[in-house]
Amino acid sequence: MYILHPGMQKKVLTEQALYYGDVAMPKDWDIDRDKLSGDILQSVIQNKDFPFSRTWDILNTYMRDHVGLEYDVNLVNKETWGNIYKPAETTTPLLNIDPVDLRNSPDFTLLYGVKVKDCFVRIHFEDNRRKGRSWDIELKNNMFIMFPSTNMYYLTNNQKDSLNFIQTITYEYI
Amino acid sequence: MAHFAKLGANGKVIQVLTLDNKDMLNADGVEDESVGQQYLETHNNWPAQMWIQTSYNTSGGQHKEGGTPFRGNYAGIGYTWDEDDQIFWPKKPYVSWVKHNESASWKSPIGDAPALTAEQESQNTADTHRWGYVWNESGQSWDLTDSKA
Repeated sequence: MYILHPGMQKKVLTEQALYYGDVAMPKDWDIDRDKLSGDILQSVIQNKDFPFSRTWDILNTYMRDHVGLEYDVNLVNKETWGNIYKPAETTTPLLNIDPVDLRNSPDFTLLYGVKVKDCFVRIHFEDNRRKGRSWDIELKNNMFIMFPSTNMYYLTNNQKDSLNFIQTITYEYI
Repeated sequence: MAHFAKLGANGKVIQVLTLDNKDMLNADGVEDESVGQQYLETHNNWPAQMWIQTSYNTSGGQHKEGGTPFRGNYAGIGYTWDEDDQIFWPKKPYVSWVKHNESASWKSPIGDAPALTAEQESQNTADTHRWGYVWNESGQSWDLTDSKA
Protein backbone atom coordinates (compact mmCIF):
# COMPACT_ATOMS: atom_id res chain seq x y z
CA MET A 1 0.00 0.00 0.00
CA TYR A 2 1.34 3.43 -0.92
CA ILE A 3 1.31 5.85 2.00
CA LEU A 4 0.90 9.42 0.86
CA HIS A 5 2.17 11.01 4.04
CA PRO A 6 4.04 8.57 6.27
CA GLY A 7 3.72 10.84 9.31
CA MET A 8 -0.05 11.08 9.07
CA GLN A 9 -1.92 8.30 10.81
CA LYS A 10 -5.40 7.52 12.00
CA LYS A 11 -6.63 6.00 15.23
CA VAL A 12 -10.26 5.00 15.64
CA LEU A 13 -11.11 5.58 19.30
CA THR A 14 -14.66 4.36 19.14
CA GLU A 15 -17.26 3.39 16.61
CA GLN A 16 -20.99 3.04 16.59
CA ALA A 17 -21.75 -0.13 14.74
CA LEU A 18 -25.15 -1.58 14.02
CA TYR A 19 -25.56 -5.18 13.04
CA TYR A 20 -28.66 -6.46 11.34
CA GLY A 21 -29.87 -9.27 9.15
CA ASP A 22 -31.82 -12.49 9.14
CA VAL A 23 -31.23 -15.32 11.54
CA ALA A 24 -30.13 -17.92 8.99
CA MET A 25 -30.51 -21.17 10.85
CA PRO A 26 -29.64 -24.55 9.32
CA LYS A 27 -32.35 -26.31 7.32
CA ASP A 28 -35.21 -27.63 9.49
CA TRP A 29 -33.82 -25.76 12.48
CA ASP A 30 -35.71 -22.52 12.15
CA ILE A 31 -36.36 -20.55 15.31
CA ASP A 32 -39.73 -21.62 16.72
CA ARG A 33 -41.27 -18.16 16.75
CA ASP A 34 -44.63 -19.52 17.94
CA LYS A 35 -42.91 -20.75 21.08
CA LEU A 36 -41.24 -17.37 21.62
CA SER A 37 -44.44 -15.39 21.07
CA GLY A 38 -46.25 -17.70 23.52
CA ASP A 39 -43.55 -17.13 26.11
CA ILE A 40 -43.68 -13.37 25.55
CA LEU A 41 -47.45 -13.41 25.98
CA GLN A 42 -47.16 -15.46 29.15
CA SER A 43 -44.48 -13.25 30.66
CA VAL A 44 -46.35 -10.04 29.81
CA ILE A 45 -49.75 -11.23 31.06
CA GLN A 46 -48.36 -12.73 34.24
CA ASN A 47 -45.83 -9.93 34.69
CA LYS A 48 -43.03 -12.46 35.15
CA ASP A 49 -39.50 -12.79 33.87
CA PHE A 50 -39.18 -14.17 30.36
CA PRO A 51 -38.77 -17.94 30.74
CA PHE A 52 -35.64 -19.70 29.57
CA SER A 53 -36.35 -22.14 26.75
CA ARG A 54 -34.48 -24.22 24.23
CA THR A 55 -35.76 -21.96 21.47
CA TRP A 56 -34.50 -18.82 23.17
CA ASP A 57 -31.16 -20.51 23.79
CA ILE A 58 -30.81 -21.39 20.10
CA LEU A 59 -31.44 -17.76 19.13
CA ASN A 60 -29.09 -16.40 21.76
CA THR A 61 -26.31 -18.85 20.92
CA TYR A 62 -26.69 -18.13 17.23
CA MET A 63 -26.27 -14.41 17.84
CA ARG A 64 -23.28 -14.76 20.14
CA ASP A 65 -21.54 -17.27 17.86
CA HIS A 66 -22.08 -15.36 14.64
CA VAL A 67 -21.32 -11.88 15.91
CA GLY A 68 -18.17 -13.34 17.44
CA LEU A 69 -17.20 -15.07 14.22
CA GLU A 70 -17.96 -12.26 11.79
CA TYR A 71 -17.01 -9.21 13.82
CA ASP A 72 -14.81 -10.52 16.62
CA VAL A 73 -17.17 -9.16 19.25
CA ASN A 74 -17.55 -11.50 22.21
CA LEU A 75 -20.93 -11.05 23.84
CA VAL A 76 -22.03 -11.90 27.34
CA ASN A 77 -25.71 -11.92 28.23
CA LYS A 78 -27.19 -9.29 30.50
CA GLU A 79 -30.97 -9.45 30.33
CA THR A 80 -33.79 -10.55 28.09
CA TRP A 81 -37.47 -9.77 27.84
CA GLY A 82 -40.29 -9.77 25.35
CA ASN A 83 -42.68 -7.00 24.41
CA ILE A 84 -46.04 -6.84 22.73
CA TYR A 85 -46.92 -3.67 20.85
CA LYS A 86 -50.46 -2.77 20.01
CA PRO A 87 -51.65 -1.86 16.51
CA ALA A 88 -50.62 1.67 15.53
CA GLU A 89 -48.59 2.01 18.72
CA THR A 90 -45.45 4.10 18.85
CA THR A 91 -43.36 3.58 21.94
CA THR A 92 -41.86 6.26 24.08
CA PRO A 93 -38.13 6.65 23.46
CA LEU A 94 -36.38 3.58 24.87
CA LEU A 95 -32.95 3.42 26.43
CA ASN A 96 -31.51 0.27 27.94
CA ILE A 97 -28.68 1.79 29.92
CA ASP A 98 -28.96 3.32 33.34
CA PRO A 99 -27.19 6.69 33.03
CA VAL A 100 -26.32 6.66 36.74
CA ASP A 101 -25.11 3.08 36.69
CA LEU A 102 -23.17 2.69 33.46
CA ARG A 103 -20.93 0.11 35.08
CA ASN A 104 -23.77 -2.38 35.20
CA SER A 105 -25.44 -1.31 31.97
CA PRO A 106 -25.32 -3.37 28.77
CA ASP A 107 -23.17 -2.55 25.73
CA PHE A 108 -25.56 -3.81 23.06
CA THR A 109 -29.28 -4.14 22.59
CA LEU A 110 -30.59 -6.81 20.26
CA LEU A 111 -34.11 -6.70 18.88
CA TYR A 112 -35.49 -9.83 17.24
CA GLY A 113 -38.67 -9.87 15.19
CA VAL A 114 -40.73 -12.72 16.65
CA LYS A 115 -44.05 -11.88 15.02
CA VAL A 116 -44.05 -8.48 13.44
CA LYS A 117 -45.75 -6.64 10.64
CA ASP A 118 -44.90 -3.13 9.47
CA CYS A 119 -42.66 -2.65 12.46
CA PHE A 120 -40.13 0.16 12.23
CA VAL A 121 -37.24 0.96 14.50
CA ARG A 122 -35.76 4.45 14.71
CA ILE A 123 -32.34 4.55 16.32
CA HIS A 124 -30.97 7.91 17.40
CA PHE A 125 -27.29 8.70 17.27
CA GLU A 126 -24.86 11.58 17.37
CA ASP A 127 -22.20 12.30 14.77
CA ASN A 128 -19.82 14.52 16.70
CA ARG A 129 -21.42 17.96 16.70
CA ARG A 130 -24.29 16.78 14.55
CA LYS A 131 -26.77 15.81 17.23
CA GLY A 132 -30.22 14.35 16.89
CA ARG A 133 -29.58 12.14 13.90
CA SER A 134 -31.55 8.95 13.42
CA TRP A 135 -31.57 5.84 11.30
CA ASP A 136 -34.72 3.95 10.39
CA ILE A 137 -34.98 0.29 9.65
CA GLU A 138 -37.88 -2.09 9.27
CA LEU A 139 -37.79 -5.06 11.62
CA LYS A 140 -39.20 -8.12 9.91
CA ASN A 141 -39.98 -11.62 11.08
CA ASN A 142 -36.88 -13.61 12.01
CA MET A 143 -34.69 -10.54 11.59
CA PHE A 144 -32.40 -9.02 14.20
CA ILE A 145 -31.02 -5.55 14.79
CA MET A 146 -28.23 -5.02 17.28
CA PHE A 147 -26.93 -1.59 18.24
CA PRO A 148 -25.15 0.14 21.13
CA SER A 149 -27.34 0.38 24.20
CA THR A 150 -26.33 4.00 24.65
CA ASN A 151 -28.45 4.81 21.60
CA MET A 152 -32.02 5.76 22.28
CA TYR A 153 -34.58 4.13 20.01
CA TYR A 154 -38.25 3.74 19.52
CA LEU A 155 -40.53 1.32 17.78
CA THR A 156 -43.56 1.94 15.65
CA ASN A 157 -46.24 -0.59 14.83
CA ASN A 158 -47.27 0.90 11.55
CA GLN A 159 -50.51 -0.97 10.93
CA LYS A 160 -53.90 -1.36 12.59
CA ASP A 161 -54.50 -5.08 12.40
CA SER A 162 -52.14 -7.06 14.57
CA LEU A 163 -49.90 -7.09 17.59
CA ASN A 164 -46.13 -7.04 17.19
CA PHE A 165 -44.04 -9.42 19.29
CA ILE A 166 -40.41 -8.45 19.79
CA GLN A 167 -37.71 -10.17 21.80
CA THR A 168 -35.03 -7.99 23.33
CA ILE A 169 -31.68 -9.32 24.55
CA THR A 170 -29.02 -7.10 26.03
CA TYR A 171 -25.33 -7.93 26.04
CA GLU A 172 -22.04 -6.63 27.24
CA TYR A 173 -18.90 -7.36 25.31
CA ILE A 174 -15.56 -8.56 26.59
CA MET B 1 -10.89 -35.95 25.01
CA ALA B 2 -12.45 -35.52 21.59
CA HIS B 3 -12.85 -32.23 19.75
CA PHE B 4 -15.72 -31.19 17.54
CA ALA B 5 -16.07 -28.14 15.32
CA LYS B 6 -19.44 -26.44 15.14
CA LEU B 7 -20.22 -25.35 11.59
CA GLY B 8 -22.26 -22.35 10.60
CA ALA B 9 -23.45 -21.25 7.20
CA ASN B 10 -21.05 -21.94 4.30
CA GLY B 11 -19.22 -24.53 6.37
CA LYS B 12 -17.44 -21.93 8.48
CA VAL B 13 -16.29 -23.04 11.92
CA ILE B 14 -18.09 -21.06 14.60
CA GLN B 15 -16.82 -22.82 17.67
CA VAL B 16 -14.73 -25.79 18.75
CA LEU B 17 -15.83 -27.86 21.72
CA THR B 18 -14.32 -30.72 23.63
CA LEU B 19 -16.29 -33.86 24.34
CA ASP B 20 -15.60 -36.57 26.84
CA ASN B 21 -14.70 -39.73 24.92
CA LYS B 22 -17.29 -41.71 26.85
CA ASP B 23 -20.00 -39.53 25.34
CA MET B 24 -19.22 -40.78 21.86
CA LEU B 25 -19.16 -44.52 22.44
CA ASN B 26 -21.57 -46.64 20.43
CA ALA B 27 -23.33 -49.76 21.66
CA ASP B 28 -20.17 -51.78 21.08
CA GLY B 29 -18.09 -49.41 23.21
CA VAL B 30 -16.27 -48.01 20.19
CA GLU B 31 -15.81 -44.28 19.60
CA ASP B 32 -18.18 -43.19 16.89
CA GLU B 33 -18.35 -39.68 15.46
CA SER B 34 -22.09 -39.92 14.82
CA VAL B 35 -22.74 -40.71 18.49
CA GLY B 36 -20.78 -37.61 19.47
CA GLN B 37 -22.70 -35.56 16.92
CA GLN B 38 -25.99 -36.74 18.35
CA TYR B 39 -24.84 -35.95 21.88
CA LEU B 40 -23.85 -32.45 20.81
CA GLU B 41 -27.15 -31.89 19.03
CA THR B 42 -29.02 -32.82 22.19
CA HIS B 43 -26.92 -30.74 24.55
CA ASN B 44 -25.94 -27.80 22.36
CA ASN B 45 -29.05 -27.20 20.27
CA TRP B 46 -27.32 -27.40 16.92
CA PRO B 47 -27.92 -30.04 14.23
CA ALA B 48 -25.85 -33.20 14.48
CA GLN B 49 -24.53 -33.04 10.91
CA MET B 50 -23.05 -29.62 11.63
CA TRP B 51 -20.67 -30.95 14.27
CA ILE B 52 -17.51 -32.35 12.70
CA GLN B 53 -14.84 -34.11 14.66
CA THR B 54 -11.38 -32.59 14.48
CA SER B 55 -7.96 -33.69 15.67
CA TYR B 56 -6.11 -31.56 18.18
CA ASN B 57 -2.78 -33.03 17.08
CA THR B 58 -3.17 -32.57 13.35
CA SER B 59 -1.69 -29.56 11.63
CA GLY B 60 -0.61 -29.00 8.06
CA GLY B 61 -1.63 -32.54 7.13
CA GLN B 62 0.73 -34.01 9.73
CA HIS B 63 0.12 -35.61 13.10
CA LYS B 64 2.36 -33.98 15.71
CA GLU B 65 2.93 -37.27 17.53
CA GLY B 66 3.51 -39.38 14.47
CA GLY B 67 0.00 -40.79 14.33
CA THR B 68 -2.44 -40.67 11.46
CA PRO B 69 -3.40 -37.13 10.50
CA PHE B 70 -7.11 -36.46 10.60
CA ARG B 71 -8.84 -33.89 8.42
CA GLY B 72 -5.83 -31.76 7.59
CA ASN B 73 -5.80 -29.25 10.42
CA TYR B 74 -7.17 -28.83 13.89
CA ALA B 75 -10.23 -26.67 13.30
CA GLY B 76 -10.18 -23.10 14.52
CA ILE B 77 -12.84 -20.43 14.58
CA GLY B 78 -13.13 -18.97 11.09
CA TYR B 79 -11.76 -22.07 9.37
CA THR B 80 -13.79 -23.60 6.56
CA TRP B 81 -14.81 -27.23 6.39
CA ASP B 82 -14.25 -28.83 3.00
CA GLU B 83 -16.43 -31.91 2.90
CA ASP B 84 -15.11 -33.14 -0.45
CA ASP B 85 -11.48 -33.15 0.61
CA GLN B 86 -12.21 -33.77 4.31
CA ILE B 87 -9.99 -30.86 5.37
CA PHE B 88 -10.42 -27.90 7.68
CA TRP B 89 -8.92 -24.95 5.81
CA PRO B 90 -7.60 -21.82 7.50
CA LYS B 91 -8.44 -18.47 5.96
CA LYS B 92 -6.94 -17.96 2.52
CA PRO B 93 -4.00 -15.59 3.05
CA TYR B 94 -3.96 -14.08 -0.46
CA VAL B 95 -6.45 -14.13 -3.30
CA SER B 96 -4.07 -15.84 -5.69
CA TRP B 97 -3.07 -18.67 -3.36
CA VAL B 98 -4.29 -22.16 -4.05
CA LYS B 99 -5.13 -25.20 -1.95
CA HIS B 100 -2.49 -27.83 -1.48
CA ASN B 101 -4.30 -30.88 -0.16
CA GLU B 102 -1.24 -32.93 0.82
CA SER B 103 -0.06 -30.31 3.29
CA ALA B 104 -3.57 -29.01 4.03
CA SER B 105 -2.29 -25.50 3.51
CA TRP B 106 -2.44 -22.63 1.07
CA LYS B 107 0.44 -22.21 -1.38
CA SER B 108 1.41 -19.32 -3.56
CA PRO B 109 0.94 -19.93 -7.30
CA ILE B 110 4.73 -20.04 -7.70
CA GLY B 111 5.32 -22.34 -4.75
CA ASP B 112 7.11 -21.80 -1.47
CA ALA B 113 9.48 -18.94 -0.79
CA PRO B 114 13.11 -19.58 -1.77
CA ALA B 115 15.43 -20.70 1.01
CA LEU B 116 17.64 -18.07 2.61
CA THR B 117 21.31 -18.21 1.79
CA ALA B 118 23.79 -19.37 4.39
CA GLU B 119 25.00 -15.78 4.77
CA GLN B 120 21.48 -14.49 5.36
CA GLU B 121 20.86 -17.25 7.88
CA SER B 122 24.02 -16.38 9.76
CA GLN B 123 23.11 -12.70 9.79
CA ASN B 124 19.70 -13.61 11.19
CA THR B 125 21.35 -15.73 13.84
CA ALA B 126 23.72 -12.90 14.73
CA ASP B 127 20.69 -10.61 14.86
CA THR B 128 22.33 -8.05 12.61
CA HIS B 129 19.59 -8.53 10.03
CA ARG B 130 16.20 -10.16 9.90
CA TRP B 131 15.96 -11.58 6.40
CA GLY B 132 12.79 -13.16 5.20
CA TYR B 133 10.62 -13.51 2.14
CA VAL B 134 7.30 -11.70 2.00
CA TRP B 135 4.63 -12.49 -0.56
CA ASN B 136 3.99 -9.66 -3.00
CA GLU B 137 0.43 -10.18 -4.18
CA SER B 138 0.42 -7.47 -6.83
CA GLY B 139 3.75 -8.60 -8.31
CA GLN B 140 3.04 -12.29 -7.72
CA SER B 141 6.52 -12.82 -6.35
CA TRP B 142 8.45 -13.51 -3.17
CA ASP B 143 10.28 -10.34 -2.10
CA LEU B 144 13.35 -10.56 0.09
CA THR B 145 13.09 -8.11 2.96
CA ASP B 146 15.10 -7.22 6.00
CA SER B 147 12.57 -6.32 8.68
CA LYS B 148 15.35 -4.90 10.82
CA ALA B 149 16.43 -2.41 8.20
